[in-house]
Amino acid sequence: MSHLPGTVLGGVGIGLNAVSAEVFRVRARKSTTQSARSGSASEETSALTAAIAKVSKELEHMAVQAESSNAEIFQALSLMIQDPELFESACRHIDKGWSAGSALFLAVEEFAQLLSGDALLEERAADLKDLATRVSAELNGVGLGMEIPLRGRVVLVGEDFFPTDVAQFGKAVVGVVTSKGGPTSHSAILLRSMGIPAVLGCDGADQLLDGQVVLVDPAGDRVMVDADMSSATQSISMIAKSFEPIVPVRANIGSLDDAVRASATAAEGVGLLRTELLYLAQHTVPSVDEQTKSYSDIFAAAPEGPVVVRTIDVSTDKPVPFLSVDPKAALTPGYSLLSDNREFVIGQLKSIERARELTGREIWVMAPMVDSASEAIEFAELARTHGHYRVGVMVETPSLANEVAKLKGKVDFVSVGTNDLSQFLFETNRLAPLSPSLLSPWQPKLIKLLGKIAKAAQAANIATGVCGESASDPVFAIVLAGLGFDSVSASMSQVGAVRSALSSVSLDEAAEVAQVALGAGSAESAKAMVLGALRRY
Amino acid sequence: MALHLATVTVMDQNGLHARPAGQLVKLVNDSGLMVRIGRVGEELVNANSPLRVMALKAKWSDQLAVEIESDDLEAAETLVSAIQLALGESK
Repeated sequence: MSHLPGTVLGGVGIGLNAVSAEVFRVRARKSTTQSARSGSASEETSALTAAIAKVSKELEHMAVQAESSNAEIFQALSLMIQDPELFESACRHIDKGWSAGSALFLAVEEFAQLLSGDALLEERAADLKDLATRVSAELNGVGLGMEIPLRGRVVLVGEDFFPTDVAQFGKAVVGVVTSKGGPTSHSAILLRSMGIPAVLGCDGADQLLDGQVVLVDPAGDRVMVDADMSSATQSISMIAKSFEPIVPVRANIGSLDDAVRASATAAEGVGLLRTELLYLAQHTVPSVDEQTKSYSDIFAAAPEGPVVVRTIDVSTDKPVPFLSVDPKAALTPGYSLLSDNREFVIGQLKSIERARELTGREIWVMAPMVDSASEAIEFAELARTHGHYRVGVMVETPSLANEVAKLKGKVDFVSVGTNDLSQFLFETNRLAPLSPSLLSPWQPKLIKLLGKIAKAAQAANIATGVCGESASDPVFAIVLAGLGFDSVSASMSQVGAVRSALSSVSLDEAAEVAQVALGAGSAESAKAMVLGALRRY
Repeated sequence: MALHLATVTVMDQNGLHARPAGQLVKLVNDSGLMVRIGRVGEELVNANSPLRVMALKAKWSDQLAVEIESDDLEAAETLVSAIQLALGESK
């Protein structure tokens, strides 16, 4: 049975931009049937060793090809398939008479049992099964039957794709639809960072036909059959009317590699340089000279415009080795990194100042996770004694959000981290996972607080920006500009889209749109009403 | 061969998932030492097996026992601190 034109299939959207193209179905891999071994146990064992080595070598290759943050995914997968205990278990099954491939699947099944009961680990068990399929294909000397077109434009449709599949998607793959799989999988992370729109876990995906045109509409969490871009949730009115966006669009970066890549985008400077990555691999505090070198390299490579540096943030999932941090305290509002690690922060401030002098760039410095005006002022005073940069703080807690007026004359700018702000707004700490709907930036309570921050900052003559995830959503970026924020900073892959959205409206229109958002009663209606308003421009 | 015992704490907010487990295994492999890890008071698993390590299902703030076979006390201590770093620094 096939779908009628216009049929809407719901799923979980990954990415923001819609795409319309022809379906290319990837058949589910043939499930291998269990077979007894043909050779001796030692022959099968050495064949297994060789096949595992081949697959892990391919994974290492994928790690090299991937972006820095994605490389770790492939490295972890490589270690998993080389697990000595997995191999031992497979050898026991070979001894019992199974072929190498069958033995590996039996061993994988044992470990899948051990990993069951935890959503994150079950994803890894699924990855492991995919890897075993690859090893088995290697053993049998057959391809995996995943012939992905290299030319043209296709929407790949399949049951589920694994990181190893996604790594092979070329330019011809413009969209992805799966009948299984969810937003937290490794594949979802990869698709997002590769900028490939996808709808995962899509009911009815298995009935899409080769060559049928579909609209992959991640913003609407849906796939539409025989539909073109005119039906897309976000494709409306994003035609640039002016050359310059109504507020500058900067990029979020975290490394020298990122700085180089960001300079190839249309970003006007850097709105968030996360500094944790520079320190994660170090077991002791690097010297001011070493730090100065790192910052100088990044400043020199960064796209033209100001570079906003965030001093170290400890409340990420990657703790910095040499910092003294009580993780429980670090996750609660009111925790002050400055009081526990003052010397380190001073070293950072000195290094940033030296790099600023060396490169002649316009540098802004801000502290994360500041909870009160007094703490913000303490940081600002400290920073000003060590450098001639513009000084600010991140607004990530409701308590500081309500004290912005007190920062008048003390800080030059504030930058809002919307992710954490909404966490704190709806829960008490960062640990309790929130339902995805509460994390939506479209929550009326969050939009109202954002409006309040922008207004208070404007009155106090403080520059404002947003560097949280919400600024990467082109439509929400319009709302932010309309609320009065002076700049937004988006993830690199979104800079272009956010820039064109912000060039498609006037400041007055953005302000009207922001009023519409402020008047909404729920996140869903806020988004729908804003999209409706934008259609009129 | 002397047996060194230590305790480490999982400081990664997502628990001992694929990435920290991979880092741990890499450290153990690089050290060439025989290392076992597990929940305090329970049976320990070989720390060179990322799947066994993940199957401990250790969560943030969980304490884990580490057992290292080595006659080189310094090497063992260095490895323990490196393992703690892989799981996040404790105070």
